[in-house]
Parts: sequence; structure tokens; C-alpha cells
Amino acid sequence: MTPRWFGVRAPLSARARLVLGIGSFALPLGLWCLVSYVPFVWHPMVRIADPGGVDYFQPDMLVDRAVFAEETGNMRRDGKALPAGEPANPVYLPAPHQVVLAFYTAFTTRPEQRDAPWLHESLLHSIRVIFLGFAISSVIGVPLGILCGTYTAISRLNEPFIEFFRYLPAPAFGALAVAILGIYDGPKIAIIVIGTLFQQVLIIANTVRKLDFSLIEAAMTLGINRLRLLTRVVIPACLPDLYRDQRILLGWAWTYLIVAELIGTSSGITWFITQQARYQHFDNVYAAIAMIGFLGLGGDVLLAWLARYLFPWDRASARA
Amino acid sequence: MSTSGSGAPVSIPSNPSIASVPDVGVADYLVQSPEVRARFERIRARDVILEVRELGKTFRTNQGEVTALRGVNLQVRRREFVCVIGPSGCGKSTLIRMLAGLENHTAGEVLVDGKPVNGPGRDRGMVFQGYTLFPWLTVKQNVMFGPLATLGKSEAARAAMLWLELIGMARFADAYPNQLSGGMKQRVAIARALVNQPRILLMDEPFGALDAQTRARMQSHLLDIWRNVDITILFITHDLDEAIFLADRVLVLKANPGEVQEIIEVPVPRPRSAAQFTSAEFLATRRRLDMLIHPPAAAAATTAAEDEAVKPHLIRLTDVADNVE
Repeated sequence: MTPRWFGVRAPLSARARLVLGIGSFALPLGLWCLVSYVPFVWHPMVRIADPGGVDYFQPDMLVDRAVFAEETGNMRRDGKALPAGEPANPVYLPAPHQVVLAFYTAFTTRPEQRDAPWLHESLLHSIRVIFLGFAISSVIGVPLGILCGTYTAISRLNEPFIEFFRYLPAPAFGALAVAILGIYDGPKIAIIVIGTLFQQVLIIANTVRKLDFSLIEAAMTLGINRLRLLTRVVIPACLPDLYRDQRILLGWAWTYLIVAELIGTSSGITWFITQQARYQHFDNVYAAIAMIGFLGLGGDVLLAWLARYLFPWDRASARA
Repeated sequence: MSTSGSGAPVSIPSNPSIASVPDVGVADYLVQSPEVRARFERIRARDVILEVRELGKTFRTNQGEVTALRGVNLQVRRREFVCVIGPSGCGKSTLIRMLAGLENHTAGEVLVDGKPVNGPGRDRGMVFQGYTLFPWLTVKQNVMFGPLATLGKSEAARAAMLWLELIGMARFADAYPNQLSGGMKQRVAIARALVNQPRILLMDEPFGALDAQTRARMQSHLLDIWRNVDITILFITHDLDEAIFLADRVLVLKANPGEVQEIIEVPVPRPRSAAQFTSAEFLATRRRLDMLIHPPAAAAATTAAEDEAVKPHLIRLTDVADNVE
């Protein structure tokens, strides 16, 4: 059976979905391997193996290909020993195997400063900041969003201001947050809350507004009072969609993490990244960035899987 | 429904709401057999459940005030089955939504058991055309939804199971609505409304989205329920045959503005069966409804207007030898 790859919205077999899913990761990875391991694709630098007669060359030093060629010409003209080296990529593009190795060693290597946190400690710190920020935002944003989506008066009282506020970039409040909340985790959590909350209210309100009104009418003809309408119809009817919204919003919270952690004293995974970049350990930098991706995606996959059991009636959850 | 004949002579009952439509030999729909006539007399002796007095609704739009409905008068008696038909835009949905309390009326009043209607309530159950079962609840939980407002959980569950048994859906008690067919969903919707023991069941084209076979099955099923349960039904449809098959009386509305044209007492005897679709009484009623809904003069005008707008210019696009007729 040949799959019809280009049928509009054609359903795919489980096998094809798996193959394509792996392919979506294999494709960029393959590109990275190509650039890293095949010398003539890019490799604009030369890694010095033997400095020869060039006095400022040192073993393992990276120089531009043009500089290397020029110095080789100079040495040949002067009759000195020729330098030797092999093509290499710039220091900021480590090869995949280096990053994989760094991924492992980053967890097992003692930090360079004795009182500095280990990588897993930095990661846990970041996760805590995200969690607190997202939880505080949700405690305010979800109920407010549901109320805005249900009652037009509450929506009109809140949403115009929220529409205005959501355009203010969260990092712009950094200095203010430090002044109010100090230099440690307070301002970082505040930035994540500011970045998430206002979008959250609007998105949740919009989802609640999309609820089929005939369900509410049906409930009213069954003799339910107004207050119960919210808890027995509006909220349960929207729950799977609200859950999906929260998953997307959690992703946004992660994107605010790095900016938030730069505010006040740098901490968490951001501290690790900036520290490693300072020592030019770019393999560690890539490993740390990839780790954020794995944490984010892993969390989302877990939540999607959980939705199947939480909302057995919801077809969209079952498909995820 | 057993109809015991009383031997009264065939007569034409006076009907105050006949519009001034020329009746050239079509009055045979007014001819009732003695049994049918006696049945209507028995119905008229019962209590009035729903009373509608001079009911009207006007909308305010950019083009000024639009009258959706005006001057609707109706009395529905206990265990009567009344159908409402009319051309599209005649306000039949507006009427039933006002009775349910989902929309305000701007004139007149609606009384249920003599008490004015003011918003939706459990004394008037409603079945909608679209499927309005709650998707997050199982079939049983859907039916329990109404009783839970007043009863405890076990009592509500018992009442729900009784009704599911009655509509033959007990096997599907733990299924979710998205696992059911359209007909099954509407059965559950009927049970969900009836479990509240409403005084009247309002049905807004409940079988409109079903295929013809399912629809016919649901019609007989609804009559079975109605025969066995103390329930009064007001049923909206645009299907003339459905209206005649189900109803004791048919309320015919006309559009622009929405007004009652006539209230017809259906002369087809009960119990009803599919065989009656070709009976003389059925066809006479059908002819009358056709005339009211698609009056010859208006139909001619519409056809003329349509011909004016759409002028087909057909040329042969196939081979001469390739003839389908």
C-alpha cells in the first residue's frame, strides 16, 4: 500500500507517522553532521597541527583559511618550515559527538569554581522558577479568563487593559522587578508571570467564548441555576481545550526563562550557559540549550499523554 | 390511543382561525369521523397546560423594527400533541424559544399551568435540533443532569436508568455521546428532558438532521413514549407529513410578519401507522397544508421571480448519439 503523502490532510499510517516524526529530528541532525564532518562543505578555519616557522602559530590554534594560506606562502618564500593543519569549523560550531559527550560530562564534571552549583542543580533551579511563575500566573489567569469568557461585563472591565498590557515586553519590567523584589528569584518569577499572565487571560477567555451556546441553553432548560451553570457546564465543557491552552502557555513560559534568569543575579541554566560561553566551552552551551528543549518537549508529551486519561470523551485529546 | 365511536354524525367543527383562503372543495380536511370528533371533544375537556395569549416579538435592527411574530393565541391541553409548521422565516423557532424562556417576548404572555413564563425552567423540557448532549458526561450522567439539581446521586441515577430503560438505551448507559448515532443521541436527549417530569415537552425540529429511515423510526418511537407517559408535546417541524403523522392539531404559521394562519385538527384517527400516509384524511390534510404553506398565487409569483433572475440557456454538451432518455 503506498501512502498518499500529498493528499490534502490525508491520514497517515502509524508507521508513516513514526518515520516522519523521527525524520523531523534526523533532518536537522543530518545537516549538522554534514557541516561538521565533511571538510569541503564549510570548514572556514584551519586547526594548526604543526606551527612550522610561523612564530605566532601554536598547536591546536584556529586560524582563518586565508591567513593560513598567506603564512604558508610567506614561509615558502622565506625558506622556513611550512606550517601544517587541517580544515576545521569555528569554535562556536562544535560537532555533534562533542555536544553528546558534553551532555554526559556536564553532569559528571565538578564545577570549575568550588562553590558553583552542579548542572543538575542549575536545571532544578530553573524548573522551580518556571513552575512557580507559571503556577502564580495560572492561579490568577485561568479563573479570570473563564470569568471573562462567560460574563461579558467582566470581560469588558478587564480585557481592554489586558490587551494594552500584553504589548509591554516582560523584560522591560526587569529593573522595576529587581527594585521591588530584590535580586534573587523574586524578579525572575515576576518576569515569567508578567510574560504569561496577560496572554493567558485572553487565550482562556477566547476558548471559553467558543463554547457551543446551545449546551448552555440545554442546561438552562433542564432547570439549572446561574451559579451552577459555570461549574457544571462551562468549565467541564471547556476543560480539554483549557488543558491544551495551558500546554501552549507553559511553552511560552519556558521561552521567558532565559531573559528572566539574566535579571538580578544570573542563575539556573542561564548562569550555566553564560559561564560556559565565557570559557568558550560551546559544546556545553549547546548541550545546555538542547536540555531546555528536551525538558520542554518531554513535559509536553507527558501532559498530552495524560490528557487521554483525563478526558476520555475528547477526540482531540485521544489523537494527540 | 383507543378511539371509541359514539355514533355522532359527521360534522364540520367551527374553526375560528381559518384565514380567508378560498376553499374550493378542499374543506374535506375538516370532515372528522365520529371517533376522531369524540377524541377532540375529550381533549377539549382536559386542563389547559400551555396558554399563549397575543404573543409577539419585535426585533430592533438597522433597518428599523422587524416583527418576527405577532398575535399568537394557542391553548394546549394535557397530553395533547401539537405540531407547528410554517415556511422558513415564519418565526417557528422564535416561538418555541420564547415558550422555553430562552428568548424574551415583547408582547402578550405565556402561561404554563396558569403561571407566567419568565425565563427557562424545568417545567418545560426542550429537545433541540442540534445535538446538545453534554460530551463530557456519559449517557447516564447526561440523563442525571437535571435530577441532580434536586435529588441525591443514587436517586438521580435510579431515575436516569428508568428512563434509559424506557427509551431502550440502558445498554449504552456508560457510553459517551460521541460514540452514539444521531438517532440515539436524540433518544437520550428526549430522556434527559423527560426525566425532569416537565409539564410540556418542547421539540425544535428534533429529527431534522436525521436520515429518512431513522427519522421514521424516531417518529413512531416518540408516539410510543407519548402514549405511555403523561406528557404534552409541542413539536416544530418543516416536514408536513411529519406534522400530520404526529399531531392532534397543527398550528400553521405564515411569514412576514409571523402570524397564525390556521390551527388544523388532524382528522387522521389514532393509533397512527405508516399505512395512513395514503388515507383520504391524511391526503386531504396534506393538500390543505400545502395550500397554506405554498399558496398557488404566491408560488406562481416566486417562480416568476426566480425565472426572471435565473435564465438557463441550455445547449447540448454531449454527443447526439449519447442520449440518456
